[in-house]
Amino acid sequence: MLSVDNISVRRGATVTLHDVSFGLAAGRTLAVVGESGAGKSTLIGAILGLVPCSSGQVTWDKTPVARCRPALVMQEPRSAFNPRLSLYHSAMEPLVAQRTVPDPERLNMLCQGLEIPPNLLSRRPTEVSIGQAQRVGILRALIAAPPLVLFDEPLSALDAVTQKYTARLIAELQHEAGFAALIVTHDLGYAAAFADEIAVLRAGRVEEYAASRAFVEAPRTDYGRTLRDAAFALGALERVA
Amino acid sequence: MRSVIVLVTVFVLLALVGPWLAPHDPTQINIPNRLSPPNAEWLLGTDALGRDILSRLLHGARWSLGLAFLISVIGLAIGTVIGLVAAQGGKIADWIVMRTTDTFLAFPDLVAAVVIAGVLGAGTGSLIFALTITGWMRYARVARGIGLSLLNRGYVVQARLAGLSPVAIARWHYLPSLLPSLTVVWTGMFARAILSISALGFLGFGVQPPMPEWGTMLLDARIHMRSTPLQMIWPGLAVVTCVLAINLTGDALRDSLAEADQR
Amino acid sequence: MIKLVASLVLRASVVLTGTALATFALLWNAPGDPALAIALARYNAVVPVEVIDQVRAEAGLDGGFWSAFSGWITPLILGDLGQSSVTGRDVWPELVTAMSYTFPLALAGLLVGIAISVPLALLATQRPGGWLDRCAVALASIGAAIPAYWLGLLLILLFAVQLGWLPAMGARTPAHMLLPALTLGLGVAASLTRILRSGILEARGQHFLPAFRRRGVAASDISRHHVAPHVAVPVVTVFGLELAFLLEGAVMVEVIFSRPGLGSFLVSAIEARDFPKVQAVVILSAVLFVTINLLIDLLYRALDPRIGERDA
Repeated sequence: MLSVDNISVRRGATVTLHDVSFGLAAGRTLAVVGESGAGKSTLIGAILGLVPCSSGQVTWDKTPVARCRPALVMQEPRSAFNPRLSLYHSAMEPLVAQRTVPDPERLNMLCQGLEIPPNLLSRRPTEVSIGQAQRVGILRALIAAPPLVLFDEPLSALDAVTQKYTARLIAELQHEAGFAALIVTHDLGYAAAFADEIAVLRAGRVEEYAASRAFVEAPRTDYGRTLRDAAFALGALERVA
Repeated sequence: MRSVIVLVTVFVLLALVGPWLAPHDPTQINIPNRLSPPNAEWLLGTDALGRDILSRLLHGARWSLGLAFLISVIGLAIGTVIGLVAAQGGKIADWIVMRTTDTFLAFPDLVAAVVIAGVLGAGTGSLIFALTITGWMRYARVARGIGLSLLNRGYVVQARLAGLSPVAIARWHYLPSLLPSLTVVWTGMFARAILSISALGFLGFGVQPPMPEWGTMLLDARIHMRSTPLQMIWPGLAVVTCVLAINLTGDALRDSLAEADQR
Repeated sequence: MIKLVASLVLRASVVLTGTALATFALLWNAPGDPALAIALARYNAVVPVEVIDQVRAEAGLDGGFWSAFSGWITPLILGDLGQSSVTGRDVWPELVTAMSYTFPLALAGLLVGIAISVPLALLATQRPGGWLDRCAVALASIGAAIPAYWLGLLLILLFAVQLGWLPAMGARTPAHMLLPALTLGLGVAASLTRILRSGILEARGQHFLPAFRRRGVAASDISRHHVAPHVAVPVVTVFGLELAFLLEGAVMVEVIFSRPGLGSFLVSAIEARDFPKVQAVVILSAVLFVTINLLIDLLYRALDPRIGERDA
């Protein structure tokens, strides 16, 4: 169980996260939505320990979160891989760090689940499509079976068809592996379709936190309603009611 | 560019096989034949003790180039490690490393090297120590600068999240990116080391006689400048052509890297 | 601004403390017993153990590293460089005398360097890639590869030995300054030409210049207001490096031409193992260096405000 307790992040005089708290249980999916600049990326950094918190703490089962080795799927799949190394080399890093060798069966299963063809991993990140690179990114995140996986705008670099396909793969893998997923996205349609809960982040604060179905049907705050109606207008969200 | 590579290759070969090409023993003293002008037997003449200058030059290549190579490579290793520690070790480590680097940069290298080599006593060991300890800072600065710029790259963040050790991160993600720039710095430092070794030799704090080193040879030749001025030309010419060839290689390397960057 | 200056001054003092400590540690760990060395230098004969112990106590060497270090650094901060361990005389006056030879030489070398490199760089950049430009680049490359001591010897050989026009050794008349200054200046000219040339070319290549030219801004205005500031930043940087080169070069040149000055002062102090004198030269050059770099740092930020922002 991930618990984020009253964390704040300051950079100089500006506060980028203000007293943020929420919990996320194993096997559940939380989507954090908000506009650019709402502090979504900072939140990811703070949870992973990449950005120091000025107050509050983040724990997994009451121990510091770093100990559970959370994984991250990044927005830009190409830059998440060292251009000089093969995708295989990068994808196996979490196992190398734990001094274990990849279990061929598990690797095979993940590759099948992510629809990664066998010879793809021997290529370099610049030699594959962005969608393929993102799927290898997900492979890297899942290879060491972490209990918590963070997704930072996992779909935004992909084209529309690949987006749907990748979103479905993530959901299926989560169903099988049972990790807790925290998905940061500006795409409310994606959040509503795949997440159990939705947290709306605005100017560094959690504006609204609700079950995703409840949120789509009836947002409790004005800002939540604005976001939802904008998503309706764009056709990104289907009317559930 | 091609001619420069040829020149450098010739020097490297000379340093490697020079001693076997030498027609005479470089330390063989032959007083009756002292200060002989160049002739068929002694191609570049002999020095004040009657030793063959050509043989001394050829053996000297091993001292001057070999020591310079050794010194610049040790500096490269030390500087890179220090620079990467600064880049990866957080703010406090970075501050300590950068102030230490500033401290070592606070003297002109040659003055510091003269003091260190002189105080520790003349000899090859103190020469190497003096020039290494005054020669790692440039590498450290470059390694740190590039290291800091890579720190927030996606793949470095991923490697840290995966729990890869700093050494493994340095090995796989930093060093390959550092290598081109460090090589350019290294050529410059190699050339500097050649100049510094011969400068220390000329001041009497470097390689000790009777070992033939170009700076020491120049020091010997200086006394007989009036009678045999040619004797003074050769070691200097050897230093200048070596340094020039290495510097030009460095320039060419830097230009081709800049081109590769733009592409 | 005040905060910036304060942080730079703090940094400079940390560096100076570090240099003092490093220098002292080096000399402390020098092979041989320093007290014995002093006693030998002073009495120049076999000395009994009691005399050595007495010397050790006098020099403050009997209390371990830190007590000796504080015994040296405390007066140093107040500007007292101590006494020569050989002659027992104050180091300051001798150091001042040495500087009075070295600084004019360094200045003359710098002037020679500027006098050669500025016209050369301006001429060379008239037609980049032309024969004049190529010659300038080639000369600069060769110049950077020629060690000062060899150049000095060649100049002596040509002007003093072969032609007999100029005096070579010592510093008796102003004419004695010419060859050393030329030696130093040629070295400075080599690196300065290179930097000036690429600075001018880079500034000319700036994308806004063609726009100014199209709008009919006068050529002289362009170079004064837009090219000059761009050249200034690299030139200021190089100036800092040049000063290192000047000090270093002066040391070598003084030895070659048997001129009195900091170089001869340092070399003879090392040979006599007169450590207070060695320390004095090292600390002096560190203070000079750090101060000049501090000033350059400030000048740099004044010329290009972006540098300050990047640091903050």
